[in-house]
Amino acid sequence: MNRRAETVVKVEGSVRALVHRFALLFLILAAFAIMLLGKAETIVVERVRSGVVDVVAPVMGALSRPLATVTAAAERAEHFFTVYEDNARLREQNARLLEWQNAALALAAENSTFRKMLNYIPETGARFSAARVIGDSGGVFVRSVLINAGADGGVQRGDAVINGDGLIGRVAETGRQAGRVLLVTDLNSRIPVVAEKSRIRAILAGDNSRQPKLVFLPPNAQLEPGDRIVTSGHGGVFPAGLPVGRIGSISDGTIRVDTFADFDRLEYVRIVTEFPGEVAGQIVPSAVRSSSRR
Amino acid sequence: MIAAALQRLDRSARLIAPFTISAMLVMIAALPVQLPGYGQIAFNVGLITVFYWAIYRPDLMPVLAAFLLGLWQDILVGSPVGLNALILLLVNWAIVSQRTFFQGKSFGVIWFCFAIVTMAAATISWILVCGLNATLIDPLPGLFQALLTIGAFPFMAWLLARIQHAVLKPADEDV
Repeated sequence: MNRRAETVVKVEGSVRALVHRFALLFLILAAFAIMLLGKAETIVVERVRSGVVDVVAPVMGALSRPLATVTAAAERAEHFFTVYEDNARLREQNARLLEWQNAALALAAENSTFRKMLNYIPETGARFSAARVIGDSGGVFVRSVLINAGADGGVQRGDAVINGDGLIGRVAETGRQAGRVLLVTDLNSRIPVVAEKSRIRAILAGDNSRQPKLVFLPPNAQLEPGDRIVTSGHGGVFPAGLPVGRIGSISDGTIRVDTFADFDRLEYVRIVTEFPGEVAGQIVPSAVRSSSRR
Repeated sequence: MIAAALQRLDRSARLIAPFTISAMLVMIAALPVQLPGYGQIAFNVGLITVFYWAIYRPDLMPVLAAFLLGLWQDILVGSPVGLNALILLLVNWAIVSQRTFFQGKSFGVIWFCFAIVTMAAATISWILVCGLNATLIDPLPGLFQALLTIGAFPFMAWLLARIQHAVLKPADEDV
């Protein structure tokens, strides 16, 4: 009797060890399978991802507020010490911008005259949705952020994401109330762009570094540091004319772009949920827009 | 009857605490901190918690829990799904299988072992991500993250020890 019980215990032990070992093997294989499925952008993996993010988004949104408050308070304290310099700089900038505003108003008036002469049908405006950044990319290998806007706010996969400075990236996945934005600096980010003045087309390719590079340039393309780069709108995914950055450095045939957006301090972003054609007119100050409607 | 049920509930809540607390810490670590460049090299909380529980309470951090925690981290952080799941799984397995070695060892030795495990984990994930994307990725951010994780270990281990003593009753320790 006793011996039988012993063997039962023994068998049970070895079965348990076997199951344990198989569980490990199974889970390792599962991890690999999930990685490959995720790489192939399989819908199941995406659903699960966005589903989980949807559930945690409110919690993370709430938790990220105090953090933002602390940062804002620290910044305010910092600004207190530079208030005179800032003021002088802003006065100067204001004077310069007023000149620009005059120029823009004149051009807008001229433009509307020309449009009337050509019977040009003006495009209706683009639509935006605003969101707060609730999750940082804590990853070494990915440049992305979580935002608290999703399908319920009209945000769709592929939508362009901007802030006051310029292009941030595109929506890579959406849940109902949250989404993930792939930044332009990410390894997998490819965006058709154009040099604003020379109209040379290229693809802005991220490589996880701070400065994305320009690839697929036409041979003998003449670009210089400081040239403004904007989205070209080719492919129809992005509106054209969204400001991206300036050419920062050209070395050994590698052209890198200094983005206008500061990815270290993303707090609020705008998602371009709808754009009829070109959105170039939407980025100009509202004063110019309202006068062009008149 | 109800008291007994509540007691059972209380006990199971305590027993899954290592997992739930780890999951919570991973989420907190994913919140946006507006420090320049920090987001990319933020230390790997999942790695620390899985290592800690694998040494001190392996019964409460089975392989499946490590796997799920890794998936959770991947989804929140945005890394390739399955990457951290695999890493945490391997770390859990490696530590639990060497459990007798760690018994009664000083904190210095454990920290040193953690450093080795972290470096190995960073190397494996770097190789995997390079393979997944079919390009060479700059290994420096990964190295910085590993160093930061190693540096954060003493503090996190202290925090986890406090949690362990507060949440797990001595009676549970014998289970």
